[in-house]
Amino acid sequence: MTSAAVELRGISKRFDAVVANDGVDLVLRRGTIHAVMGENGAGKSTLMSILFGLVRPDSGDIVVNGVERHFRGPLDAIAAGLGMVHQHFRLFDSMTVAENVVYGAEPTRRGSLDRKAAAARVRELSDRYGLETDPDAVVGRLSAGARQRVEILKALHRDAEILILDEPTAVLTPDEVDSLFAVLRRAADGGATVVLVTHKIHEVLAISDEVTVLRDARVTGRFRTAEATSGALVQAMTGREVREVGNPGTGEPGEVVLEVERLGVTDRGVHRVRDVSFSVRRGEIVGVAGVSGNGQHEVVAAILGTDPIESGTIRLLGRDLASLDVRRRRALGLAVVPEDRRGEGTAVTMSTAENLSLGHHRTPPIGASTGWRRGFLNLRAQRDMARRLIADYDVRTSGEKLPVGALSGGNAQKVVIARELSHDAPVLIAEQPTQGVDIGAIESIHQRLLDYRDQGGAVLLVSHEIAELQALADRVLVMFAGRIVAEYSRADASTERIGAAMAGAAEHRQAGEHEEAAS
Amino acid sequence: MTVSTGTEAPPEPRSAAARRLLGVAVRHPAVVPLGAVVLALLIGAVIIAAAGLDPLVAYAAVLEGALEPGSLDYTFSVWGFTCGMALAAAIPLRMGEFNLGGNGQLVLGGLAAVVVAGALPGPFAVPLALLAAAVLAGGFGAISAPLATRFKIPIIISTLLLSPVAVAVVSFLIRYPLAERGSGVAQTAQLPEDARMWRLPELSYSNVGLLVIIAMMIVFWIVDSRTAVGYELRVVGANRRFGAYGGIVVGRLALGAMAAAGAAAGIVGAIIVLSAPYRLIDGALLSPGYTFAGFAAALLAGGRPLLIPLTSVLFAVLQVGGAAMERSADVPRQLSDLLQGVVIVVLALRTVLDARRTGRSEH
Ligand SMILES: Nc1ncnc2c1ncn2[C@@H]1O[C@H](COP(=O)(O)OP(=O)(O)O)[C@@H](O)[C@H]1O
Ligand SMILES: [Mg+2]
Repeated sequence: MTSAAVELRGISKRFDAVVANDGVDLVLRRGTIHAVMGENGAGKSTLMSILFGLVRPDSGDIVVNGVERHFRGPLDAIAAGLGMVHQHFRLFDSMTVAENVVYGAEPTRRGSLDRKAAAARVRELSDRYGLETDPDAVVGRLSAGARQRVEILKALHRDAEILILDEPTAVLTPDEVDSLFAVLRRAADGGATVVLVTHKIHEVLAISDEVTVLRDARVTGRFRTAEATSGALVQAMTGREVREVGNPGTGEPGEVVLEVERLGVTDRGVHRVRDVSFSVRRGEIVGVAGVSGNGQHEVVAAILGTDPIESGTIRLLGRDLASLDVRRRRALGLAVVPEDRRGEGTAVTMSTAENLSLGHHRTPPIGASTGWRRGFLNLRAQRDMARRLIADYDVRTSGEKLPVGALSGGNAQKVVIARELSHDAPVLIAEQPTQGVDIGAIESIHQRLLDYRDQGGAVLLVSHEIAELQALADRVLVMFAGRIVAEYSRADASTERIGAAMAGAAEHRQAGEHEEAAS
Repeated sequence: MTVSTGTEAPPEPRSAAARRLLGVAVRHPAVVPLGAVVLALLIGAVIIAAAGLDPLVAYAAVLEGALEPGSLDYTFSVWGFTCGMALAAAIPLRMGEFNLGGNGQLVLGGLAAVVVAGALPGPFAVPLALLAAAVLAGGFGAISAPLATRFKIPIIISTLLLSPVAVAVVSFLIRYPLAERGSGVAQTAQLPEDARMWRLPELSYSNVGLLVIIAMMIVFWIVDSRTAVGYELRVVGANRRFGAYGGIVVGRLALGAMAAAGAAAGIVGAIIVLSAPYRLIDGALLSPGYTFAGFAAALLAGGRPLLIPLTSVLFAVLQVGGAAMERSADVPRQLSDLLQGVVIVVLALRTVLDARRTGRSEH
């Protein structure tokens, strides 16, 4: 039995009325990969922040390599051999990979940064751990996976022997996840201790040696991975068996309400979307599969009207959208759950009530549209609607006044879904609606989408989770390199076919040959 | 996550509670602004001490000079003008835009008022003059919005560049076409009795114009907290992409905000020329530095309507007391400008650091 690199004993932490950690014990053995799992809001990030000295616990002990520690900040934790890769990256976009890696612990020559030494150090670390990176690339131009490798290099550069990764896979493609896991395994084999925060069960089973499960701020399960089953993990995480939402399939879809014809989008000379045509009918969920960055997001932005289009037409409820701005498109009957929750879907510094009001603020009951109160807000109606939606959608929060930035990812996502569905628009675009969301919330979001469809709503569901599309969509379109390269009916949408089309296997085929193309 | 109600919440260990309180205090949004003020006062003290004078005596002279009964009336009027110019900065600041064109908007307001009041003396002279000032200066401020939407020239740049143009044009008009005949001084003729701002009993500096400015602040507070437009301003200020995604027409909002800001500055200019000495004198609107002081007050208040009256007190006291300090403690009054400058630099630094932090990858 290997010795403990870290022991957390009885860690408790509360934020005002919210208890984030309640007497949590966690033991990390040297040379192992330890998964910390739990639903959003279970307290995983808080626990990791405490271990890394970012947050002070209200009570409890931190023992690193047998020595009790009282970290005053992350610098103390780094000195004690810890390194952390955050859920939200903390890198300078305008600087190179090497500069970011050595930032704060730079090799210097005659008082200034020694670029050669920095680049050499990055290459040495990359080779040792199999982390592919170009030391001279500018971070702002890198993919999420590459940025994450920079974060890991940063920790390794400072000789971290205990590596904390908070939901590292949320932003990665399946291939990137595989190579990340290879890196982590190599690090652990070399004697490092790895803590991996995640809520994805298959990842836990694939990579970890041990698992600690958190629910509602407490530890609800400890497993050796070899002995754990996915059922037991789900049980510990949610306190119940997760029910697959049943999708009985469609009744008869109604008339076409969203129609995209030969859409083309160009961004600074690069063709992002080429010749894309499809339609969505009432009572139908049309899925769009694709590895992110293949034009799906640009299609959504074109329909919403936040980005200009190059060619083609988009019709909503039979009306050409060309001359309508975002406000009019939404008023006509469009709701959108955007991919970038923090950057586009919410204002994190504003209250939950104010985040829920967007789009309702000019119509009754919150906004008065006529009479002398025209233009004024009814603050009581705003509060009441917020409370109702928080209850209906089971948003876990201490109240409607709390800034959305203080909610966990899943709860913030419920706020976005609640707001968009509360518009009662006939057409809904949902982009990665369950990204970074825990199992319980996924189920409830899926159920909401199905209910909306069953009530006659038309849904365009953009997702890179094939399983999500299979569970919900009545038809699946696959995008690759800006084009729709395949279309499958519900019955034909197998993982292999969709996966092959996502990887570009059907790219050279003509539209219209979709069905044979992939089979 | 567990939400506990007050009654079942277990008592926290005392040290933990104290630490948490300290944590809350350090992260409070008021820390940086207050720190900026304290830092400015400290730097000022060091400079005064370096000159061989006693900083405490100097600061006491500032307070005394501004708050002694004889100068309260004057301090009040300076406070009003500072508040007015703070509004001109705060309205766009609420949506994340910087209006650096206060000077141009101020002098255009003065110009419009003096022309209209001079041409139409009588019972409607004052309201018409204020209206004309609001329209001309508001229109001038509003130009920056389409420049930003259509030509991608940031508002902070276009206001900064357009302002001196307006100042120069007004200066030219005062010197030549509108100059008082035969005086040889760059000023317009004195306005007739029935074209002057209504007085308040017992007061010589503060007049009804002060009430107009207070009314404008109340309107801003109501619009900001109670109306759809105010909500949209705050949404765009908090996250511009969120606003655009939600259907807020950012360009139109900027147009309104810049027009309102220009109108506020223009009304301040109008009130100044409708008050003693009842004329537009070249340079007289700008030399007291209301624009800069108002900008500092707005920045210090973070654009929040309820804080502007408070932060404006600080700069009004510095401004009025600065002259007293020069007289009684022999410290040049430019020290007031220096203190304002330090406050702005510290707050601007914060903005830059914030931008840099959010400029890091957030994915
Ligand atoms: N700085 C904070 N202020 C207030 N509440 C917080 C803060 N950080 C986390 N919380 C709350 O604590 C709970 C646990 O959050 P977190 O540790 O982020 O969960 P997880 O990472 O498991 O999703 C959540 O309900 C969250 O809203
Ligand atoms: Mg988390």
